[in-house]
Amino acid sequence: MYLRTTIDPNPRVFFPSNPQFPRTQNGSLRVYSKLNNNVIEISETKSFYELLGIPETVSLFEIKQAYKQQARKYHPDVSPPGRVEEYTERFIRVQEAYETLSDPKTRDMYDKHMSKGLHFAFSARRRCQNDESMEDKGEWKNRWQSQLSELKRRNMHKDSGNNMSWGARMRRQRNEASS
Amino acid sequence: MALCAYAFPGILNRTVVSDLSKQSPFLSEWFNGTDLQFQFQHKLTQVKKRSRVVQASLSESGEYYTQRPPTPILDTINYPIHMKNLSLKELKQLADEVRSDTIFNVSKAGGHLGSSLGVVELTVALHYVFNAPQDRILWDVGHQSYPHKILTGRREKMSTLRQTNGLAGFTKRSESEYDCFGTGHSSTTISAGLGMAVGRDLKGRNSNVIAVIGDGAMTAGQAYEAMNNAGYLDSDMIVILNDNRQVSLPTATLDGPVAPVGALSSALSRLQSNRPLRELREVAKGVTKQIGGPMHELAAKVDEYARGMISGSGSTLFEELGLYYIGPVDGHSIDDLISILKEVRSTKTTGPVLIHVVTEKGRGYPYAERAADKYHGVAKFDPATGKQFKASAKTQSYTTYFAEALIAEAEADKDIVAIHAAMGGGTGMNLFLRRFPTRCFDVGIAEQHAVTFAAGLACEGLKPFCAIYSSFMQRAYDQVVHDVDLQKLPVGFAMDRAGLVGADGPTHCGAFDVTFMACLPNMVVMAPSDEAELFHMVATAAAIDDRPSCFRYPRGNGIGVELPVGNKGTPLEVGKGRILVEGERVALLGYGSAVQSCLAAAAVLESRGLQVTVADARFCKPLDRALIKSLAKSHEVLITVEEGSIGGFGSHVVQFMALDGLLDGKLKWRPIVLPDRYIDHGSPADQLAEAGLTPSSIAATVFNILGQTREALEIMT
Repeated sequence: MYLRTTIDPNPRVFFPSNPQFPRTQNGSLRVYSKLNNNVIEISETKSFYELLGIPETVSLFEIKQAYKQQARKYHPDVSPPGRVEEYTERFIRVQEAYETLSDPKTRDMYDKHMSKGLHFAFSARRRCQNDESMEDKGEWKNRWQSQLSELKRRNMHKDSGNNMSWGARMRRQRNEASS
Repeated sequence: MALCAYAFPGILNRTVVSDLSKQSPFLSEWFNGTDLQFQFQHKLTQVKKRSRVVQASLSESGEYYTQRPPTPILDTINYPIHMKNLSLKELKQLADEVRSDTIFNVSKAGGHLGSSLGVVELTVALHYVFNAPQDRILWDVGHQSYPHKILTGRREKMSTLRQTNGLAGFTKRSESEYDCFGTGHSSTTISAGLGMAVGRDLKGRNSNVIAVIGDGAMTAGQAYEAMNNAGYLDSDMIVILNDNRQVSLPTATLDGPVAPVGALSSALSRLQSNRPLRELREVAKGVTKQIGGPMHELAAKVDEYARGMISGSGSTLFEELGLYYIGPVDGHSIDDLISILKEVRSTKTTGPVLIHVVTEKGRGYPYAERAADKYHGVAKFDPATGKQFKASAKTQSYTTYFAEALIAEAEADKDIVAIHAAMGGGTGMNLFLRRFPTRCFDVGIAEQHAVTFAAGLACEGLKPFCAIYSSFMQRAYDQVVHDVDLQKLPVGFAMDRAGLVGADGPTHCGAFDVTFMACLPNMVVMAPSDEAELFHMVATAAAIDDRPSCFRYPRGNGIGVELPVGNKGTPLEVGKGRILVEGERVALLGYGSAVQSCLAAAAVLESRGLQVTVADARFCKPLDRALIKSLAKSHEVLITVEEGSIGGFGSHVVQFMALDGLLDGKLKWRPIVLPDRYIDHGSPADQLAEAGLTPSSIAATVFNILGQTREALEIMT
């Protein structure tokens, strides 16, 4: 599951201590923000087929039909006034689903990924991949920085007396020899 | 310098410049970051030359391809020590220059491009932070070491890459002190690195050991054996996992790219997209920061637990093995790499650390990025268009013929399945995969598993064919002996790249497979002398259902004989060879591709008045005893020729002859085998000459035995 909001770039979401997220009808999670009482939808990742509302064994024509139907329904211009962001998000995802499934190559790749349960990490569009990877890379930096500080902290105590690994013993020997 | 001759004023019409940039987008990439005026001048020279190429002579158009990209910073670097004073900005430019230099050199000489492009930034960062050669940097497989070679004093020789007497295509200890370990087969660097780390500890030295290994090489068992040991010994070393999501060669079918094989790849990709878990931890940190005080310690503990529990299944895999996991890291960001490597180097006691670096194969060269095989191995090519100069041949490669033969057999027999170890392109199994998607198994770089997996399939009544290169079969030898041969399971082994292989050198040379296969009691060992024979031998192997069988074929193209109808060979009678040319006094008994050399030698000898017999043994095990007996009895000299080491076909022949009493008369037997040394990389013709297996060498040997030494000398000169 991933957090995607177009409303507020810095959502201050408060995770309840007892995580029992209420589930909506279409299987997506809704988390209530105490601060501005907005509902930010964390969608359970639907497969592209579910998004378009079609079974998995359809032809290209049916995919096109389903896409057109969904697009007409969720286009931002025709969405109800209070739910523009939600509809836009849905529209973008429907568009992505159509692009993936309409190209036989990417559809095949997607089917393979799905059979292995990997659809949350899959994105056929290279551009989208790059966007996601740019966001990911920003987060990677934070992650490895914390890992590095953890490494330093951990290794202050690493070669204390009770670490009996071969390497630790050799290091102690070397330190004693040099001191 | 030729470029100076075309100095144009820097002020240009804007539209002209934009036109130029449209015409040569690739060149504009090369020149990013250099002086703008120089850029204009150079682009104009390009245009000038282009317009002249149409009317110009061949030498003029040749000039277009020999242009070396400008590399001002790289020109000042001969060894890594010269890099130490560069600023970050200069290092970035250096990386770009190394990249263009790599592309330029590989375009001239051919070689492995995609992998080298993916590690340019990593190489620059490693050599900047660490002090090779005191610090040991090991490159797994070695085909990505071209930037490393450029930066470690071998830049001028890069044009001789993979050629006779030139630079090796992989790391080689005898070539340079900066190549600390010779590689070529994969997954060996963590083991070697651990050995170097432990050796350093025993000797009381103080240096770093860094092993760079790819995610493909990580699919091999040896990597886990090494990590298991490294975690236990806890010696300081750094393992850099170069993850580009390319496991097989290529990581693609014939119709386009696919996901990499193996469950490990999905684990590694999950590591890259673990966003919500990190956010949870960040939120937790934020909360405790607000509370402050003693909560910090509690938070640290929570962090530790969280790390173990929810920081992703992949990192716990490495952590459980005892390696401290850092990553994922953007492998194309030099500042990220340098800061991490500096931190790790400065931490006093680390034990083994694994840095998970994410790179893109073929990065920086658009044609490589887009290609399904990411330009893993290329022939000479034109950098501007990416088109490779592949020599057109009248026949196809033995690899393709093998794949077609196996497909034909599998059409007839639905029990035939194919197994390969991440070499779908090189073994031709991608062709089989396209035709039979459910009957082709790519197990990743795991030859040992592939063989035992085949044995398991054979137990269930299927007919597995393992398509594994001759030199990679060395890895799976115990499995062949213990799991297949001992139990007499009907597994077929198709050993491609048997004999000398040319530019890849001794690491990929298939010299030993006849020796180690023919000594096994239950194995049927055969070798085709041409492509039609190959079809028949595939059929023979498919027809053998009570014991294992193997056949070897060389790298290269067929000789042009007629192929059987519908690609379906007919099974040969096991243990029967054939006589190709009838002659007298001297018999040349060839095995495999050496038969063609024998035929050529016979032609040379005939021109000097000597008619020799040429026979194709076909089978090394069981030998065609009748054929050998008749040859031994009707000739004075019997010469066995094979492109393999001692202990192979020739040894089996002479063993039989000795036991049968055929050596007790006046017969002279001589073997022609590969010499007792490793033949360095080079062109196939040079290697054969070095090994003494050319037709002239064979003919000269014949004359020498007959005492006609003068003729022998005449042939050899």
